Amino acid sequence: MGIATFLTRTRGSADKAERIGAADVMAYCYLALGVFIILVPVLWTFFSSVKPERAVDSFDTRLLPYAQVETDVPGEGDKTTWIYTDDNGNETVVFKAGPTRKETDVAPIDDPTNVFKVPRTQLAPNEEIRIATENYLDPILKRNGQTNFTFFTYLFNSVFVTVMATLITLLINAMAAFALSKYRFRGRLTFTILIVATLLIPSSIILVSLFFVVWSFGIFGSLWGVIIPAAATPTGVFLLRQYMLTIPDELLEAARMDAASEWRIFWRIVLPLSLPALSVLAILSVIWRWNDFLWPLIVLISDPSAHTLQIGLTTFSGEFDSDFHYILAMTVVSLIPITLVFVWLQRFITTGIATSGLK
Amino acid sequence: MATHALELKHIKKSWGAVQVIHGIDLAIEEGEFVVFVGPSGCGKSTLLRLIAGLDDPTSGDILLQDKRVNNVPASERGLSMVFQSYALYPHMSVRSNLSFGLENLRMAKEEIDRRVNDAAKLLQIEMLLDRRPGQLSGGQRQRVAIGRAIVREPQIFLFDEPLSNLDAELRLQMRVEIANLHAELGNTMIYVTHDQVEAMTMANRIVVLRGGRIEQVGKPLDLYNRPVNKFVAGFLGAPQMNFLAGKIAPDGKLTMDCGLQMPVQLGETLVETMPCTLGLRPETIGVSLEGAGDMVVKVQNFEQLGAVTYIYTAFPNGETLTVQLAQQIPLKRGQEIGVTFDPERFHIFAGEGERALELKGRALA
Amino acid sequence: MSIAALASLIIGILWIGGGTWWLLARRQYRLAQIPNFAMDLIGFPVELAQSLFGRRGVPYALLLPNMLIFGFFTFLPMILNFYVSFTGGSSIALFDRPWVGGANYGAIFECESYFDPRTCSNEGFSFWKGMGNTLIFVAVQVPILCVAALATALVVNKNIVGRGFWRAMFFYPVMLSPVVIANIWNWVLHRKGILNETLGNASDGITALAGMTGFDIAATVTFGILLMLASERAIRANADPSLPWTAVFAALFLAVFSWASPLRMVGFEALSSFWLGLVLVAGLLWFVATGHPRARWAIIGFGILSIVLLLSIQFDSVFDFGRFRPINWLVTPNTNWPFFWLVFVFCWSHMGFYMLILLAGLQAIPRDLYEAAKMDATKPARAFYRITLPLVMPTLTVVLVLSLIRSFQIFDEVWLLTGGGPGRETFMIVQHIYETAFTGDNPAYGEAAAGSVLMAVVIAIFTFFQLFITRRQSEL
Repeated sequence: MGIATFLTRTRGSADKAERIGAADVMAYCYLALGVFIILVPVLWTFFSSVKPERAVDSFDTRLLPYAQVETDVPGEGDKTTWIYTDDNGNETVVFKAGPTRKETDVAPIDDPTNVFKVPRTQLAPNEEIRIATENYLDPILKRNGQTNFTFFTYLFNSVFVTVMATLITLLINAMAAFALSKYRFRGRLTFTILIVATLLIPSSIILVSLFFVVWSFGIFGSLWGVIIPAAATPTGVFLLRQYMLTIPDELLEAARMDAASEWRIFWRIVLPLSLPALSVLAILSVIWRWNDFLWPLIVLISDPSAHTLQIGLTTFSGEFDSDFHYILAMTVVSLIPITLVFVWLQRFITTGIATSGLK
Repeated sequence: MATHALELKHIKKSWGAVQVIHGIDLAIEEGEFVVFVGPSGCGKSTLLRLIAGLDDPTSGDILLQDKRVNNVPASERGLSMVFQSYALYPHMSVRSNLSFGLENLRMAKEEIDRRVNDAAKLLQIEMLLDRRPGQLSGGQRQRVAIGRAIVREPQIFLFDEPLSNLDAELRLQMRVEIANLHAELGNTMIYVTHDQVEAMTMANRIVVLRGGRIEQVGKPLDLYNRPVNKFVAGFLGAPQMNFLAGKIAPDGKLTMDCGLQMPVQLGETLVETMPCTLGLRPETIGVSLEGAGDMVVKVQNFEQLGAVTYIYTAFPNGETLTVQLAQQIPLKRGQEIGVTFDPERFHIFAGEGERALELKGRALA
Repeated sequence: MSIAALASLIIGILWIGGGTWWLLARRQYRLAQIPNFAMDLIGFPVELAQSLFGRRGVPYALLLPNMLIFGFFTFLPMILNFYVSFTGGSSIALFDRPWVGGANYGAIFECESYFDPRTCSNEGFSFWKGMGNTLIFVAVQVPILCVAALATALVVNKNIVGRGFWRAMFFYPVMLSPVVIANIWNWVLHRKGILNETLGNASDGITALAGMTGFDIAATVTFGILLMLASERAIRANADPSLPWTAVFAALFLAVFSWASPLRMVGFEALSSFWLGLVLVAGLLWFVATGHPRARWAIIGFGILSIVLLLSIQFDSVFDFGRFRPINWLVTPNTNWPFFWLVFVFCWSHMGFYMLILLAGLQAIPRDLYEAAKMDATKPARAFYRITLPLVMPTLTVVLVLSLIRSFQIFDEVWLLTGGGPGRETFMIVQHIYETAFTGDNPAYGEAAAGSVLMAVVIAIFTFFQLFITRRQSEL
């Protein structure tokens, strides 16, 4: 097979391969443009987050993290260094010995006493590539006065909310779906319609009164106030119900003949068999809970020790409007777990959600 | 009153407004192999599910060992069932499939292992115990499904069309194996099928059902030889019994539409001449290539199987007649042959429900 | 100790204690069966229901926890919303709240003119401004989102290399939290951020390029060749002009048309030429896509027109944009840029999800339909209109309704990107509810609840209207 054939064939076996037409070229251009728009902001944020504070504050638009070299000059302490290029093109590493003017006093670092004047235009920063790990480590390890971003507390809260809410959601949604799909009982239609109705009630229109209910239950301000109200999802019930309808009734009857109680049938037969649908719901639930914003903002805002990662990051961004290097680093930190999960499970997630449909 | 393994007393079952079982009375003895047979929709599977306890009868009583079990849940009736789709738990190994029910009964581990191993040995599935049902062939799945029923050591085995998902060869083989199993275990078995061959070959007793009613109960050959009505006669036997339309006079004179006229000896009195159907088993008809005999028919088609020959013929009025010969004869399509009938082996159906009329001096088989 | 804590304690003791006693009295567990025991204990109420009421009690027991949560945290708030909307004050205790009748609604409707929120009371202004912005947002967002999702799904559904990779890439932003998205885009859209930097460089580069001697001639010739190539390709096909090549031609034509800007001669703005060009190009594509018999002549006509335009262009004057000034994308008032970026970022972060749903819908269309269409010599565009679109319509309806409800509730992105500003240009209805109820020193729960009720009414009307329209369409 010639190289040209190889490069221009599309998917499928070599025999059936068609040559790329104009439509294919346009398709690839579209895809490349889309991925460019999606990836560039994320990657740019990542690359910016490892730049030193000075580079971030001066909006250095170079891709790599350049930092100005600091050297310990004898008798002068730490000094940022510059490169002076004289009229003959010779380069000397110098530091500024006086204020920056049109003609600036500088001295070579290996000869600090030899101060001479050079035009400012002939000075360039002496730069090296350095990954600014302090952007990450300062807030996480509470160094350099960065005590407001209690990363591990936020992480624990986020993980706790996500895991508990997902487990509860899976269990009670599966129970409801099992009842609705595998039993004939009085009121089945009513319950089904009730659940459809909740599907049509957007969460933001019950915000105010949900606040009253949660407050009356005494779980306002605690993580449970975030976990419980959203634990029963109509989407989950429907997704699981549709799946459970495909499990043959004969299996349940065989289990009944095998003297299994109904609850045993549920968790020994129906739950394992619904695993594909359950994992889709689990992924959806993790995305929902991990990224949840408005309701946690209302419930948890007053107690910093109960903040989730999202709320913590918001207040952190609000307090340090200018400390972009920390904000970017923490943004990347909170983006990493979900990105890793996604990279690990992407095929499963996309096909799973695509085949199960609704949000 | 003797103890029956199972007794059904006037069982009725309705789904909403539709009545599917119209009052069934039946007693099954210990150790019997009873087959429920009938066309699809006759209620045979429903009846089995009522016995199993998977559905509740609308009225009537179900008695196991003379104890009423209407309100006893399926799991406590001591029955086990083999489903049409086998209903093996796809996420469990074969071993777990067999032991699941026993674990539910809180049986000791050693006992469970013993029973599972015994059943596996009996069914020759020992090497499959650690596989999943998805990795098994149809016949192997069938064995596992039977194994799951065996380990429970039930009072009664229930089979719901267990062979219908197998190919012809395997079906034959499993038929023999189930029959052997019955001989070996000696348990009561109730078997539902729509295949009359299965019914004839396996059953001690056959229950023929139609439209939620029992048409006839009896030993396979009794049903074959003395069907109580046209439905049973037509349902059992392959090729099917030939039916010819005509009239019968009170003196026993048959006048058929195809031109056949023959006297038979009635064992009962008829009030008047009435329309009737004459039933002729294909193997009771004699053939003469020279055209001699009671009637002359035209050969439309024939099948030479070696041991037997099936000849599909037609009367001049268009009624068809299938003949089965236990020999090989030279035949051509369109050829006219003579057929002879044996009045002693006639079945005559007339009146309400096309019941069989009593005939004197009827020869068996 | 709160009532909830007390209640959960009592239930917990009954459940765990009673369940253990009940289970151990009836079953034996070996040590290895502790997980079994734990699961049985979780389901103890169901087991109890079965032993008390038989199998018919089981479904109710199974539904109970789910329906309790639905009842308390969805249906109860739904009803409570009405009650709260008729009460005033800032008390959290429900029975402390004074009944004010329709005063909260009155405040919202206290306007001199409903078309101008500035004539309303403070409450009314906030509500109507939010509602107006939200309606505009939905009207812009939903079509863009659906078209983008459908286009992407169509492309990804093609026979392309690395389909899984593309699908995953487009879905990735859905996984990101609003806070992360807002921080990323804040950084990109900053006044000195990468976008302004890139635009500045590009603008400088083009201006510099245009200043070069002979550039206008070279550009004219290049454009002419490109146009000829594209039009030749488009009309070379034997039967009908090919749609993809016509699209390439159309893009080139649009570029030439907006640069030549013929409308400027009669005194219109430069941008109006672009819009006119867009209309012309859309018309041309429609002609070709539907297989109109005059499509070939239309392309030839457009080709002649484009050559005339090309000759009239003075490239060096066209390319001189002047110096590019960085724009403060999210803050500058009266530019609609903040609104534009909201729409863009919302689309960026949500499109992947709807694309996946549509992709599933597309993949459910049997391949042999297209093969049959191919045998019937159906043109791809016609196959799209007559096969793909009708068959994907049910999925598209779902996507429409979902994206409508989702866009209506937009809050996170706005709150984090623009905070509703500049002024109230991007102030949305959910932000109105949130700020009225939760941010002030004197929370006005009643007014917020009244706003929610009105918002629910609007959403309901929208949803039913949309369902009605799409159903009528799919009947055709």
